Amino acid sequence: MNMGRTLWDYAFLGIVTLIYIFLMSPILLVVLMSLSGGEFLAFPPQGISLRWFGELFSNARFLSAALHSVQLAAVSAVVNGVIGTLAAIYVVRFAPQKLANGLRLLMSAPLLVPEILTAIALLFFFFEFGVGNDYPIAIQTGHIVVTFPYVFLNVASALFNFDRSQEEAARSLGAGNWMTFRRVTLPAIKPGVITGCLFAFVISFDIFNISLLLKPVGMTTLPLELFDYLRFNFDPTAAAVATLSIVVTFVAVLIVDLTVGLRSLRF
Amino acid sequence: MSSVAAQIPRAISGPKHRAPVWWMILPALVLLVGFLILPYVSIVIMSFREASTRAVYGEGFTIAHYRDIVTDPFIWGIVWRTIRMALIVTVATLLLGYPVAYHLARTRSRMSSLLYICVISPLLVGLVVRTFAWMIILSNNGIANGALTGLGLVDRPVQLLNTQLGVTIALIHVFLPFVILPLLGNLQAINPEVALASRSLGASRMRTFFKVTLPLSMPGIQAGSILVFVLSISAYVTPAMLGGTQGRTMAVLVVQYLVDNFRWPAGAALAIFMALTTLAIVVVYLALTARAMRRLP
Repeated sequence: MNMGRTLWDYAFLGIVTLIYIFLMSPILLVVLMSLSGGEFLAFPPQGISLRWFGELFSNARFLSAALHSVQLAAVSAVVNGVIGTLAAIYVVRFAPQKLANGLRLLMSAPLLVPEILTAIALLFFFFEFGVGNDYPIAIQTGHIVVTFPYVFLNVASALFNFDRSQEEAARSLGAGNWMTFRRVTLPAIKPGVITGCLFAFVISFDIFNISLLLKPVGMTTLPLELFDYLRFNFDPTAAAVATLSIVVTFVAVLIVDLTVGLRSLRF
Repeated sequence: MSSVAAQIPRAISGPKHRAPVWWMILPALVLLVGFLILPYVSIVIMSFREASTRAVYGEGFTIAHYRDIVTDPFIWGIVWRTIRMALIVTVATLLLGYPVAYHLARTRSRMSSLLYICVISPLLVGLVVRTFAWMIILSNNGIANGALTGLGLVDRPVQLLNTQLGVTIALIHVFLPFVILPLLGNLQAINPEVALASRSLGASRMRTFFKVTLPLSMPGIQAGSILVFVLSISAYVTPAMLGGTQGRTMAVLVVQYLVDNFRWPAGAALAIFMALTTLAIVVVYLALTARAMRRLP
């Protein structure tokens, strides 16, 4: 039995390498284009310059859109960090056996239904209650709902992998519920909470459909602004905006990778 | 000492342990029931409301919107196009995603962390950004046409933007990670010694793959393909940016009804119709694959 490398292995490696390149190259291309010295989004770019980032940072619309995106994402991450963590602790630790599976399904539901349908549902729902599109409450609620499962699933999986006897030990040494939670449970599930919150932030920063249908008049987010810009323009400023959003994502991925490791990530 | 001893029975019976904890799930329940389940009910209600020229909907209720949808050949055309596109995307992502998941599950390379980033980053970079990248690639003087003319395959640039082909290519890229991740989890859970046993009993690599590894990875294939199919059918951003009228899908039509034409009841009916069509196809697919998976442990 020959277990050495065969022609098959090399062919397989070649194909897989091409697919990895296919996965990454469009994103790298956008970054490359944002550094273009030329006027057009033509490949290869003519020279290198940072002037499109200058365009971006002197464009009030893009800046205000970016600010709104960061606000929405930060609130989503913090709110879900609290209620998603509490929910995960309840479902994994305390929920009656009969309820646990149903609850788990409900808590992942925003991931299981198409985002566009959730956006439409919330549009009608808020309209019926007279909130309409006038307040950021609709768009913010939409962002919180859609990003909720990222915190829930990551914390739940951290709880699964955590040895419960440590909690029992703390209790038998006289620690109360709150003390046990703060000193034992919370530190153990912290990686799950961090990962969950950062991914809630990133997803909220990127989502489009919810923002499209629920934004109040006059408010935009970075993805919406880029979408609108591209309807009438096709130049490296758009690439600079896209690069800004890529950088935000990669900083978050890097933080997760350095603090808790990417493979702990749950979708 | 005595105080510690006195606490032991309390710790074991754990009276504090039984303190009410249901409040912990309460905020999440309010969020998901109040702002996900109930709003979905409101789509159903909206789809039966009468249209109105003065407000977004009228007073009474009607089934006219559903009747209009199923009798409109224009809508059926878009429905078939959307389903066909979603099926092509699903098959293509499976074919491209399987080798990557297989490689990532087996590799002991020091680069594996970097390769993992290659797989999940496209997922985390926004859809608008990824679709924009494909606008750059597919435009008339973009990279794709540059390569095609450079290789002498075509004389003049081929129209790729605003076509179904362009949307399909971009969707394959956009949804590829969604098939890799479930497959990866599934393949990592398969004991590699099962394949080794098959090989040591004299089966060729091909035979081992098709008779052992592939059947064992059916749950991952099933999960990944359903995910990609549902996402492709309901995709809005990519067809809206790249599709023009030729590559218009159901989701684009729904948003057009809601935002451009202010036909909320008709748009709601179309959204429900889209969801039911997707559900029906997924159920048939589950029934078909369940038979293939029955023999699995």
